[in-house]
Amino acid sequence: MNAIVVSAFMGILMMFTGAFVKNRAVPRYLAIAGAILLFLANAIELKQGQPLFHINIYDMLKTSSYSLGFLAVMIGCLILLFLLSGEDIERVGHDVGEYFALIFFVMCGVAICATFNTLLFLFLGIEILSIPLYILTGSNKRNLLSIEAALKYFLMGSFSTGLLLMGIAMVYGGTPNASFYIASIDVGNTATSPFIIIGLILMLVAISFKVSAAPFHFWAPDVYDGAPTVFTSFMSTIVKVAGFLAFIRLFENSFGAIHKDWQKLIVVITIATLFIGNITAIFQQSVKRMLAYSSIAQAGFMMLALFALNDRAKEGMVLYAAAYSIAAIGLFGIVSRMNEFTISDFNGLGKTHPVVAFTATIFLLSLTGIPLTAGFQSKLYMLTSVVENSNQVWLVIVAVIFSAISAYYYFRVIQAMYFKEPNTEDPVELWNINGWFKSVLILLAILTIIIGIYPEWILGWLYYW
Amino acid sequence: MSIISILFYFLSFLAVGSAIMMLISKNPIHSILWLIVIFFAISGHYVLMNAQFLAIVNIIVYAGAIMVLFLFVVMLMNLNAETEPVKNHRLQLIGVVSGGLLLLVLLSAVMKTKANLPVQMVVGEEGLIQNLGKTLFTYYVVPFELSSILFLSAMVGAVVISKKD
Repeated sequence: MNAIVVSAFMGILMMFTGAFVKNRAVPRYLAIAGAILLFLANAIELKQGQPLFHINIYDMLKTSSYSLGFLAVMIGCLILLFLLSGEDIERVGHDVGEYFALIFFVMCGVAICATFNTLLFLFLGIEILSIPLYILTGSNKRNLLSIEAALKYFLMGSFSTGLLLMGIAMVYGGTPNASFYIASIDVGNTATSPFIIIGLILMLVAISFKVSAAPFHFWAPDVYDGAPTVFTSFMSTIVKVAGFLAFIRLFENSFGAIHKDWQKLIVVITIATLFIGNITAIFQQSVKRMLAYSSIAQAGFMMLALFALNDRAKEGMVLYAAAYSIAAIGLFGIVSRMNEFTISDFNGLGKTHPVVAFTATIFLLSLTGIPLTAGFQSKLYMLTSVVENSNQVWLVIVAVIFSAISAYYYFRVIQAMYFKEPNTEDPVELWNINGWFKSVLILLAILTIIIGIYPEWILGWLYYW
Repeated sequence: MSIISILFYFLSFLAVGSAIMMLISKNPIHSILWLIVIFFAISGHYVLMNAQFLAIVNIIVYAGAIMVLFLFVVMLMNLNAETEPVKNHRLQLIGVVSGGLLLLVLLSAVMKTKANLPVQMVVGEEGLIQNLGKTLFTYYVVPFELSSILFLSAMVGAVVISKKD
């Protein structure tokens, strides 16, 4: 509740800053301060166990220390994104204040997705999260690809919203006493009305679309590729993870009793996502597009949490959110400072920019899941949860094989950075690599290592109360 | 058969029939006009369920605002026979198959549900504007206020998108 109010307030404040403050650097500093304020407000709610604002909301929003802890991870990632890539947001276009305002509105949707307890709030959260993203995708108006991506995202997104609404309507009609509360949908295996099953399938499709799981991923590569890189970084990490949180909350509380029945659907979606994401990423020449496909592949891994849906899976989801978001924010941060994104542009980066290349290597290793990095721990938690849930070892083996395949395209970038000579006649210029940028990159790398060695550091907060 | 049942069946056939006409008519303007007929038929259903406010809002928002928007878009896009994109038969087949499967699932659900509750008409007062307003501003006040963030972000977005660079 705190995070919802503070992020909405910050959004409005940023809007007015954009209108009245001429200095272009002010919105960025204000946004960083606002993100920290958001983090503190959320931490206070986690600490006190109740929001600062006492409003009777008839239990329509329900917080637990898990959801607040997850939200804290996402807001922490937002702070890191602002620190690392704040200047890139300024470079996108003229309306700097408005971009930050839209990002804060998205965070409001993220906070609703983390705490909703009725289908009404689920819909509001997902819509508040989506609509500003359509705008941010198309914010680079001089680039035709960006506009095309925005239109594509908007049309497909509206369609999936329609499916979500239809699913909600079906479920609403199927509950015994027509209730919006997600817990009242869970009526046990025998009493489940056919309408609830249809609603389940439609909502599964709609939210799979939002988290870009195959076969509902067709928008993702073009949108992630066309959007300004810094906004790609935002929506492929924080927003996607928020989609997973909504996914887990809804399906655990509403359809937990019939988990065994829809588990089969999740298996199909997981394997399809892993397959399409990993195999297509191999053939990409542009690093940005490769990261877009790898983001689909990582979504496949996160779907495993939905398959298992036990305590370890929920812990693993938080770890995965932190590990994946930090690594992807770092990599996208580096990519957004480059003019061209092909793999050959990374040639010899180890010699020309040693710090950037070293941190990028750590992020890529974390995304692959090499031990000592956060990516390893999170993948370990996910796979353990699958075994604990149902002993489906074959699914674990499939996931590990795809993880090994992902090493190919991640390591190709590392190879280009360290074992290829820099391009002498047409050197790649990295825009504005200053001490600040480097130190934030090092901070991100240190966080990756810390979470990899000592994951309890984050997990402890999930059981604060 | 009472007058209400007759009205119910008439409106239902009107809605389904005009939905089919909307889908199969070649001219996009005709499609939109059929869509308006659907909205009026659905508004009629709302009136039958004693939800007058919803009926009026449905007409004002959908038949009024949204339809005008659709018409504008269709006119701006200047759709005619020359600019019509080439139809892909394979895609059409896939669309028919997947849409048919969804229809199958929906139909099977309807068949499975025991229809022991007949359609109830003109009962209950939930749809009246007084009760609706009371619920909206007491029980549902937080979602109602939060939806303003949705509209605010859409407004900011519209300004960002349409402003001259």
